[in-house]
Amino acid sequence: MKGLRKERGSSGFWGEVLKEFKKNKGAVTGFIVFSLIVLVAVLAVFLLDYKTQITKINIPEALQPSSWKHPFGTDQFGRDILNRILYGAHYSLLIGLCAVTISTAIGSMLGIIAGYFGGLVETIIMRTMDVISPIPSVLLAICIASAFGQSLISLMLAVGIVTVPAFARVARASVMSVREEEYIEAAKAIGASDINIIVKHVIPNSLPPILVQATMRVASAIIVGSSLSFLGLGVPAPKPEWGGMLAQGRSFLNTSTNMTLYPGLAIMITVLAINLIGDGVRDAMDPKLKR
Amino acid sequence: MYRYIIKRVLLLIPILIAVSFIVFFIVDLAPGDSIDAVFGNELSTEDKETMREEMGYNDSLLVRYARYIGNVFKGDMGMSVLFKKPALELYLNRVPATLKLAFWGIFIALIIAIPLGVISAIHQNTFIDTLSTILGLLGMSMPSFWFGLLMIILFSLKLGWLPSFGNEGRGSIIMPALTVGVGQAALLMRTTRSSMLEVIRQDYIRTARAKGVKEGVVIYKHALRNALIPIITAAGTQLGIALGGTVVVESVFAWPGVGKLTIDAFNARDTTLVVGCLILTTALSSVLMMFIDIIYAFVDPRIKARYSR
Repeated sequence: MKGLRKERGSSGFWGEVLKEFKKNKGAVTGFIVFSLIVLVAVLAVFLLDYKTQITKINIPEALQPSSWKHPFGTDQFGRDILNRILYGAHYSLLIGLCAVTISTAIGSMLGIIAGYFGGLVETIIMRTMDVISPIPSVLLAICIASAFGQSLISLMLAVGIVTVPAFARVARASVMSVREEEYIEAAKAIGASDINIIVKHVIPNSLPPILVQATMRVASAIIVGSSLSFLGLGVPAPKPEWGGMLAQGRSFLNTSTNMTLYPGLAIMITVLAINLIGDGVRDAMDPKLKR
Repeated sequence: MYRYIIKRVLLLIPILIAVSFIVFFIVDLAPGDSIDAVFGNELSTEDKETMREEMGYNDSLLVRYARYIGNVFKGDMGMSVLFKKPALELYLNRVPATLKLAFWGIFIALIIAIPLGVISAIHQNTFIDTLSTILGLLGMSMPSFWFGLLMIILFSLKLGWLPSFGNEGRGSIIMPALTVGVGQAALLMRTTRSSMLEVIRQDYIRTARAKGVKEGVVIYKHALRNALIPIITAAGTQLGIALGGTVVVESVFAWPGVGKLTIDAFNARDTTLVVGCLILTTALSSVLMMFIDIIYAFVDPRIKARYSR
């Protein structure tokens, strides 16, 4: 049984996806840039000192333009903008990745249960999703973020919960397409339990569309997360979250362009890299999805 | 056809009621209430407590929700503590500004997206195609509020051409609408490109070319016209999303729309107004999307046929 499943395509399928992905120049560029950002984010947390280099107030050096000492200038408290952006990278990455992990986990689980069991369970789950999804996502996220209080975790939860319905729908659709396959019927015939069938057969076979959706959603989660921080509902100051830095820059549009320009640029480059990867993953998996 | 419309309208009511309960429940989770926010220091703790008792703040969630929804059916969505006015009236006063912003935003998005999408479809896999694909990706990856801030720096502060906030004076709509439009344009451009690519390969396009019709006429009269249906549908969906998504843009430009009202209500912990804003915005965008579906059904004979028995 195990050998059979492997031959069916697990490794062959993923190998082919990887080959297709590597052929895509944009996707590879995106992947390299994203890896660099992750590396910088990790290094910054270890190499920069939070108390002296990130949040220490130094009024005499406030609002300086770009210089050798401060390549991106300084903010209204005299803090180095480049350091703050480097250190802030891990907030955006964490928000994007954790939020999507939350929504993928909850959404796919609900979708798989709904798709596999059908009937009343399906009706209850999918109707609940129908009720959550028409609420405009930014507004719902604001609502949830303020309900849990201003923190990184609550921001991740807010951004994550908002996209649960999207994952539930994708997962349900793909489970329904594999549910009628012969190998599921065969597994049932030899007496495999529902949990066993779901874990061993349904999840691996409905994974591709969920994965495509997840990659794409990391990008939008980062944007929604920084929007909430911009509105004052995210990571509290003085932590240098990019959206929060933009919110501070707003009061100094006249005097310091740097405070607005660079944090936004950082968000854009990160999101762009993830979008490139997302497009690559989708294109690499799409021909197989149509099978 | 009428059966379809009636069905859509009837389906909307239970969904909106359920939405109202979810919103009511989540807002209720948030710490602090409007009495604390408004009378924080003016009243003693006992006075505030009596006030809560009188206003029914201490009843259980279900009781308060039942009372609320009962009043909503009578057309009363409660009083805003922040503005001392009925929530419904406050909201309705702000709707035109948000509609104006969303419509202009989508209009700008279409003006950018259709030509770019058509050009990159005609020149598939050439330099022009790559360039516009990159432009689209940049547009999608850019946080819209950042783009808005950069425009304020350039056009209001450095050049002094446009007002940086509000909905008054000539040109005040330009920057907010561009901010909404550029992000949407990226998505619509992708739709235009793929829809055009599909249509260009159809037999009737080959026939038109074979007849000797000029290339420009083939593209704009035969191809684009047929490619337009998915584009318009996507634009409609985007419009619905834009209505709920202008919150951040409205906050950047101090645009007096419903998004700004919602954020102000949030910051003041004006729960009555927050709940009202969320329910009404959901209703507004759902109704809009329903209209688009219905129009679409009228345009597309296949959908029409299904319901015209």
